[in-house]
This record gives sequence, structure tokens and C-alpha cells, in this order.
Amino acid sequence: MSEIRLEGVTKRYGTFAAADNVDLAVAQGELVTILGPSGSGKTTLLSLIAGLNKPTSGRIFIGGRDVTDAPAQERNIGLVFQSYALFPHMTVLENVLFPLGVRKIGRAEADRLARDALKLVRLDGLENRRPSQLSGGQQQRVALARAVVFTPDILLLDEPLGALDRKLREELQVELKQLQRSLGVTTLLVTHDQEEALSLSDRIMVLDKGRTQQVAAPTEAYLKPANRFVAEFLGIANFVGLPDGGQALVRPERIRLSGSGAGKPARVVEAIYLGQMVRYHLSLDGEGARPMVAAAPFVGPAYATGERVMVSWDAADLWPVAK
Amino acid sequence: MRGQGFGFIAPLLVLMFVAFNAPIVYMLGLAFWEKGRGFTLQHYEGLLDAPVYLRVLGNTMRVALVATLANVVIGYPLALWMRGLSNRGRMIALSLVVLPFWVSILVRTYAWIVVLGNGGLVNRALQWSGLTDAPVSFLYNELGVTIGMANVLLPFLVLPLFAAMIRIDDRLLQAAASLGAPPRTIFWKVFFPLTLPALAAGTLLVFILCLGFYVTPAILGGGRVPMISNLLDTLINQIPRWETAAAISTILLIVTLLIFAAYRRLDRKASA
Amino acid sequence: MKRRTFVGAAAAGLPAFSILGAGSARAQVKEIRMIEAGGKSGESVEVGYIEPFTKKTGIKVIRESPNPLGKLRALVESGQTSTVLMELGSGGMLQARNLKLIEPIDWAAVAPQPMFPEAKHEYGFGYQYFSTIMAWRAGAKAPKTWADFFNTKDFPGKRCLPDYPNYAISFALLATGITPDKLFPLDVDTAFKKLTEIKKDIAVWWKAGAQAPQLMKDNEVQYAICWSGRVVGDPAFGVNFAGGMADLSYFTIVKNSKAEDRAAAYKLMHEMSIAANQAKAATVVSYTGPSPELDALLPKDKLAEYPTSKQNKAVQWVENAEWWAANGEAVNKKWEAFKLSL
Repeated sequence: MSEIRLEGVTKRYGTFAAADNVDLAVAQGELVTILGPSGSGKTTLLSLIAGLNKPTSGRIFIGGRDVTDAPAQERNIGLVFQSYALFPHMTVLENVLFPLGVRKIGRAEADRLARDALKLVRLDGLENRRPSQLSGGQQQRVALARAVVFTPDILLLDEPLGALDRKLREELQVELKQLQRSLGVTTLLVTHDQEEALSLSDRIMVLDKGRTQQVAAPTEAYLKPANRFVAEFLGIANFVGLPDGGQALVRPERIRLSGSGAGKPARVVEAIYLGQMVRYHLSLDGEGARPMVAAAPFVGPAYATGERVMVSWDAADLWPVAK
Repeated sequence: MRGQGFGFIAPLLVLMFVAFNAPIVYMLGLAFWEKGRGFTLQHYEGLLDAPVYLRVLGNTMRVALVATLANVVIGYPLALWMRGLSNRGRMIALSLVVLPFWVSILVRTYAWIVVLGNGGLVNRALQWSGLTDAPVSFLYNELGVTIGMANVLLPFLVLPLFAAMIRIDDRLLQAAASLGAPPRTIFWKVFFPLTLPALAAGTLLVFILCLGFYVTPAILGGGRVPMISNLLDTLINQIPRWETAAAISTILLIVTLLIFAAYRRLDRKASA
Repeated sequence: MKRRTFVGAAAAGLPAFSILGAGSARAQVKEIRMIEAGGKSGESVEVGYIEPFTKKTGIKVIRESPNPLGKLRALVESGQTSTVLMELGSGGMLQARNLKLIEPIDWAAVAPQPMFPEAKHEYGFGYQYFSTIMAWRAGAKAPKTWADFFNTKDFPGKRCLPDYPNYAISFALLATGITPDKLFPLDVDTAFKKLTEIKKDIAVWWKAGAQAPQLMKDNEVQYAICWSGRVVGDPAFGVNFAGGMADLSYFTIVKNSKAEDRAAAYKLMHEMSIAANQAKAATVVSYTGPSPELDALLPKDKLAEYPTSKQNKAVQWVENAEWWAANGEAVNKKWEAFKLSL
């Protein structure tokens, strides 16, 4: 069990920088999510840490040890791919036994460890199935069991839930978080799904074009983004003008609507029911084409499309963002 | 709907039967028939009385096995090497592997004489370099037959192998590496087992094709490597004892089917 | 009554009609088909015999090759009647006769000019003599007898022998000292003993006639048993007709072929019996026709190259195809066993 440290890690393909001078420190036992649009360099970063790729420059430390030049085999990392990468010609048990066999762990001990790991991911009873006989969620759990069975120093998860449907994904998010916490393993998780990042992580690292945009706790990144990219990438962003000519972010949940009273007059362009929330698209009188988005609890007063409302927010909920 | 589809397929089925199946049925019948006497097993009894024809069949199997193994030893590393190439490199290598397909088998076979003959390129190079004093006999023996058959049949092994290899997701190999497996283990425990079905299929195909080889053993074997097709040619075209030829062909067909069945069984077991 | 009359008339009309049909078909024969050996030999048939035949009769001849016996069997057993002429070696002809695949020749219809007797066979028109002889790469020590040819100590060098038992066995026996007149019935086991003695020096057993001369040119072998037409007249080789085997290629009449086609085929055979035509064919390939008068029409300086020139015919012996037709299959089994021991 170890911490991860990246110092100025850069990976260039020709003139294109897939990772550009990235610094990061992940504490022991922490779960950090690398978040960014596709092509932002998150998978590159993960493969550099895993040792599947060598950085052009910079150093990588795991548990204080410089592993920059160590091959993947010697890094003792648990790695989980979005595509599961289970060995199709082996049974579930054989897959989980694989890293133990490589480590020359005795047959009985290995068998016990593998069965424990499968129990941990609630797959006991399916030991002798082949991966092709399992559902996507089950396959991902096998991959997870295989990645943790040998007590790796760190866990790297590349879009681990990306291929699953939404309901299963949400279930597994909870399981994943519990598993990670109970093992206490330092974990880096790559995703492009902001909700997944916000719900799972101790901290989030937002990447764009190979560069770090912000590293912060989920609420901080959400409410106090370092720049406009982060603001827009994490959830829905409303921007309002400031007296000094700058711009400030106000999140939809922080916007108040009322039938009458103080605030700016607006018209409801669209009211979208999302279950526990209602999302309103509003057109403020005398302002540009870009509608403002507000989110209100379903239980409060409701407004219909076309209805006129008054819009207001607290100054404290504004967060200035550079243009 | 199903009936309509059959209407379209029926002419093809008839063609298939007339062109491919009927001659085989006729051949099978011939092996059990004697003019004016009806059903008989005498053609098979004749084979048992003079087992030399069966020994030729055995010799054919042995030569085919050696040639097939040579094919595997050359073909597997070749396909593996091609997998590692860039897309462009793969295209070029693939064309080079397939190119001989478009050259007449006779021309290819004679080309080996130019290359491997006593006065051929290889022997001249060997003698010029002082590695040997006398020419090495590459041709007109089993070695020559093996080289010739391996060359002609290489694409039949390399193509399915290569197709299987490029289908193997690199991430499987990366996953194995991340799990701590050294390259040798990754190859033998992950990569090789995944290519095994294609290897088995290609090997079987090559072996069966070897059994039926005619031109290459006749020319590069110098007539010293008796193969079943050459014997069948004699029995069909020169003697002509079609009944004996049919009996031998029937045995050959059964042996081939048995090998194929064994392969299917193995394959099912592997994928079960 | 009416009905009876009608049937009767039809029945009576039927033979009349078919005679009419046959008559008109005879007049209509525009082409006949033959299966022949192909290559230079086929060309010689075209130049020597088909051209004058077509000029005289207006009937075209379509040639098809090659001519394995199996093809004839397939033709006859499938009931095809389109091909009338089939070229066969002497052994093949007798096997075809035994299998009832060919029919006797109507020699009266052929009305041939004088021919050597063995060429005028009941079942075949022997149109082309060819010799199987010893040959060697120019510069190698020349063998005079078959004993020399099989003596690898005094005549060192690799050998190339035909992958056909009828040649290899006969010549091996001659090498043991047996004279051609005592050759048949063949002592097969003695022959295999002789062949086994020198098997290490036999580099290649050839199946195709072109192999042996090419192997000598490439210096893969120095001595070979060859068909004469492949080596005579080429300064790259030495040849010796002594003890050589003279054999004949025959044109035979395919069973169940049409009568009108046969009539045309006999006319073509007549052309084959004419010495002048044979001389023309011999300019294409060094094999000769069956006319005893042919020597006079051939170029003097080339007489040594032809199988039937007086000097060569005298030192050769004629293949005994009857013995092979009776024993070929049994010998072939021993032959395959011998080859497995190589």
C-alpha cells in the first residue's frame, strides 16, 4: 500500500503532447479520479503509471520508489480496463489465480486467496464459468477481483464501469467505493463521467489537452472551479455578469424561483421533470440568447412552460471565473 | 418464406451435388463393386494381401506430418512477426506471403530447383564461402519435398494464424504484464492458447492438403518419395485399376475424416 | 383400322428415316476429335497428317491432350461418343483392349501403304516409333552397353532413370548380361537386385520426359535413360541406341464412336501410312512413322537420330506389351515396394 507521486510527467507523440507536465500526489488510501473529455490524456496518464508506456520526461514514484524505468511486471499494480481484459480461455477462478501463479504462491494458499477475492466481489459460485458466460457487470467484478487478489500497491481503474448500463453502473459505484475503502488501497480512477467522479472520489483531477486544470475535492471543484473549462465540464454552469465586468458561476441548484417578489423577471422556456428534481430552462428578460438553467426540488411550487417567474440568487453562491 | 428461399438455393444444391458429391459417391461405390458380380470386398482384400499400397499411404502420412511441422515452425513465428508490424508493413508482408498463390505451382516447384539444385544459388554460395566442399543434396529427397510443400502451403497456415493473432486485444497482454507476468509467461499462458484454435485449424488444413500433394513430391522428390496421389495417378491413368484406386481413396477419406473429427472434439473441449 | 394404318406406316417409316438420318450425317461430318500426347508429338501429327487429310477431305481434326488411359475409360464408361481417335502406348493399347475400351481397326477401310508388321496391330495403327535409350551429359565417359551404364565404379556419375517399371526393369536385366531375345518373361526379382545395387547413385526417377535432359544440362545427373527424341541431335548430350527399346505409339478407335467419324478416322490413318507424310512429321519431332521406305526420304545426316533408321532399328529390341498387359499390375506393387526402400 503506497502513495503515488507524479513529477512533471510528459508524454509526446511527435509534437502532440498527450500528457503535458503533469504533477500529482495521491495519498495512501486515497481515491482520486482523473476526469476529462475523450482525448484529454487521462488513459495515457494511467498507462504511464502502469508502465505500459514510458514518459518522454518526468518521474513517477509509487510508495516513494522511482518506477519510471521499471517494466509493468515489476510495479505491483492492480489494473482494470474498461474492456475487462479477462483471459477468455481461462475460467473465472483461473483468471483470478493468474497473478498468484506468476508470483509463485503455493497452490492451496493461492486457491484460498482467489476464492476470498471472488467472495469479496460476490462472485462465489461462478468460479468455473468462462468469462463469455458472464454478464458485463460480473465480468467487471472478476477483473476487479483479479486486480486486487495479489494485494497490489496501488489500483488503477480505466473507465471501469463505462461499458455497463446506468443502473448497474450506479450499483457498482457503491460497491467499488466500499471495496476500495475496506482494502484501503490507493486508487486512481479514470472516467469521463462527471457524476461518477463526483460521487466516488476523495479528490478529482480534471484534465484537458494533456494538462491539469484542477485537483480538488469534488464539492470544491464543483462549486469553485479553477477555470471556465472545469466549470462547464462539471455539471451545468450558469454565468452571470459581475459589476467589475467579470463573470461568475452560479450552479442551477443555487437559483431561486418565485412567482412574484424580488429578482430578475424571466420566462420559463422549458420545464423538464427529472424525478426528484425539476430543471427549468429560463429566458431572462433583456438578456442574450443563452438560457439560464435552474434546478428546483420536485416538492416545491411548480411552474409551467411559458409562465413568468422572478429569478434570484445569493451573492455568496457566485464564484468568479476567468473568461 | 423459408420455402421461397429454398427455391433460390435448390439449383446451387443440385450443382453442388452433381459437381462435388456425386463423383465421391460414385467413387465410394466403385470400391465396393465388381462388374457383373455386384457388391464385393475384394478390392479391400487385395489391399490387405499386398500391403505395399497401404505402406505408401503410411509414408504419405509421415511426409505430410513432417511437412506440416516444418510449416508450423516457419509459419508461427512469421505470423507473430507480422502482427508486430505497422499497418503498412503488415500489408507488404501479407502480399509477399500471398503472392505465391498467384504463381503456378509448377513454376514455383521448378524455381526451387534453380535455388536449391547442385548448381543452384544456395549450393554455389555455400561452396564459395567454403562452408562445404561438395554440393549439399537439398533436392530429390524428403528434404526437397518438405521444403517445396512447406513453401506452397505456408499461406494456408499463416493467413488464419495472422487473422487470429491480430484479433487478440493488446490489452489482454497488457493486463497480463500488469499482473506481473514476464514476457515468456504472457506468451505461453495468454497469447499462445488464444492462437491455438487457429493453429490447430491451419495445421489440419495443411496436413490434409499435404496428403493430396502431387506435383511437388513428383518433381522435388525425384521420384524417391512415394506419395499416395502419385500412386493413385498410376492406378487411375496408367493401369487403370479404378477399383483399387477407389478403395485406397476411401481409406484416405476415412482417415482424413477421423483426423478432422478428432480436431473438432479437441476444439469443442478447448472452447467448452 | 385407321389407327393401325397409322402405326404401321410410322413403324415402316422409322428405319427409312434413320437411314436417311445416317446418310445426311455422313455427308455432314465436318470435324472429328482425337486425344493425343500433346507437345511436339501433337504438332508433328498436325503437320504430317492432319494438314494433308483436311486438304483432301475438308474434315477438320480437333486435338486434345494429354492422353492418359484413365481418360479413355472415363470417356467410354460415361457413354460419350464425340471422340473417335485415342493415342495410346503399346501397353496402354492392350490394357484398353482387355478392358474393352477400344475396337478393332477395319484395315480394309484404311488400305494402308506398306508398314512394319508390329505397327499394323489388330487394335491400333502404330504411327510413331520412339526409342528409350541411354544418354549422358557431354563430356562424361561414354557407356557402350547397359552393363557399362549400370557400372557406377568405372562410369562414375549420378543416374536418372524413368519412374516407370517397364523401362527400369528391362534395362536392369540387360545390364546383368541377358540378351534381348531372352528378356521375356522378365525376371523381375533379379532386376530389382540390380537396381538396388546402384540405387544410391540414382538421384532422380523421372516421370515427365523433359526432366532427364534438363537434369543432365543442370549437371544434377550425368547419365540418364531417356526418350530418344528429347536428346538426339543436341550437342549437350551423348546418346547410344545400342540395346535401346523401340516402342510404338498407336492410334486406336474409341469404343462406341460414331460410324461416320470412324470412316473419317480411317482416311486419316491412311494419310499416316504415306511415307512422304511421315518424313514431314519427322521434321517436327525426331520420332518416325512405320513405313519401311522412310529412310530414303529422310535427310542423310540425320539418319542416326531416328528410331527406325536401319542402323538404329537393328541394334534395338521391341517392347513386349503383351507381357506387361498381363503382369503390369502385379509388377507395379513390387515397384512401389522397391521405391519405399529407396
